[in-house]
Amino acid sequence: MFFLSELEQTLRLPPYLLNQPLNEAIKGELDSLFLDKVIEKLGLCISVYDIRSIDGGLIFPGDGASTYTVRFRLVMFRPFVGEVISARLKESTKDGLRLSLGFFDDIYVPVPLLASPNHSEPDPGHKDGVRWVWEYEGENYPIDGTDEIRFRVHNVDYPPIPLEHGKDSDQKDSEQKDLKPFAPMVVTGSIDADGLGPISWWV
Amino acid sequence: MKIVEANAGALTNFEVLDLLRSRGAGKDPTRVIASVSPSEFKVFDYLEQTPACNQTGEIVHKFVDECKKYDLAKAEILNVLNMRPSSAVEVYTIIEECDSRMDEKIDEYVETIVRSLPPHPSQAEPNDETVESKEENMDAQQAETV
Repeated sequence: MFFLSELEQTLRLPPYLLNQPLNEAIKGELDSLFLDKVIEKLGLCISVYDIRSIDGGLIFPGDGASTYTVRFRLVMFRPFVGEVISARLKESTKDGLRLSLGFFDDIYVPVPLLASPNHSEPDPGHKDGVRWVWEYEGENYPIDGTDEIRFRVHNVDYPPIPLEHGKDSDQKDSEQKDLKPFAPMVVTGSIDADGLGPISWWV
Repeated sequence: MKIVEANAGALTNFEVLDLLRSRGAGKDPTRVIASVSPSEFKVFDYLEQTPACNQTGEIVHKFVDECKKYDLAKAEILNVLNMRPSSAVEVYTIIEECDSRMDEKIDEYVETIVRSLPPHPSQAEPNDETVESKEENMDAQQAETV
């Protein structure tokens, strides 16, 4: 689930940080640059693990700040395909489930990857909400928010950042866009196997 | 930004939790003074709800050693450590082609997991003592084998 990644970054250290020790100042700058951000193919940055080396400190002509080349390691949240993770239910709609880890919310379980056979019934508590029910040997097992839900990672996507707020696409997708804000990393999960789904089904 | 090494090693949930704890997460109830950012606290909160919260480095090392004889992939051991399955059906989902690879050893493996890894935090409170005594037993067994 968590991996280390080593990166190199050219960092301009603004002069108001000169009163701090170099290490701390650079750590702070790296924090503000990377923390809670998604790097494509590397995942969501959780934390700066350590700083490997700090080189340079050049002051470019006409610039009132020193520039360093920093090599450091980040803790990344990058689920691998096939991994089993436990999460909590965030949303249950006609399109499937949306799960949350607390620090990461873009986990979707589409209808084809739910435990089958299943059916949905309207959820009186939420507008547009439905409750998915797994039918197994004549018994109904609803998926509600009480338990942790285990899912298997089916796919991890890094959708490209939408560049155009174009005219024609705007009209077509405006409804969809309202529903789903842009997410830089989307995990598709599956609960269609033994041992997956709410923990109470199995324990 | 230049990516030097995309994958410089995997971390278990426990290692990440340990890192955040060493930065001071959890000690400060107001969450203002600690040098941990709000997003890191979210991760910390999640990890405190996982089986990783009661693991120690010693337990993890011991468990990884015990896993060697089952010929598992690193990712599988990592996943077992993070999930701490307590029944065969849960192990089954984590290990690929469990039928052919584990065969009859699966029950033994589940036993190993339950014995060596501390239970899920939601089940931990009532049997805290039994865990400790189990660990002592483990130590005794280890001493014997050594």
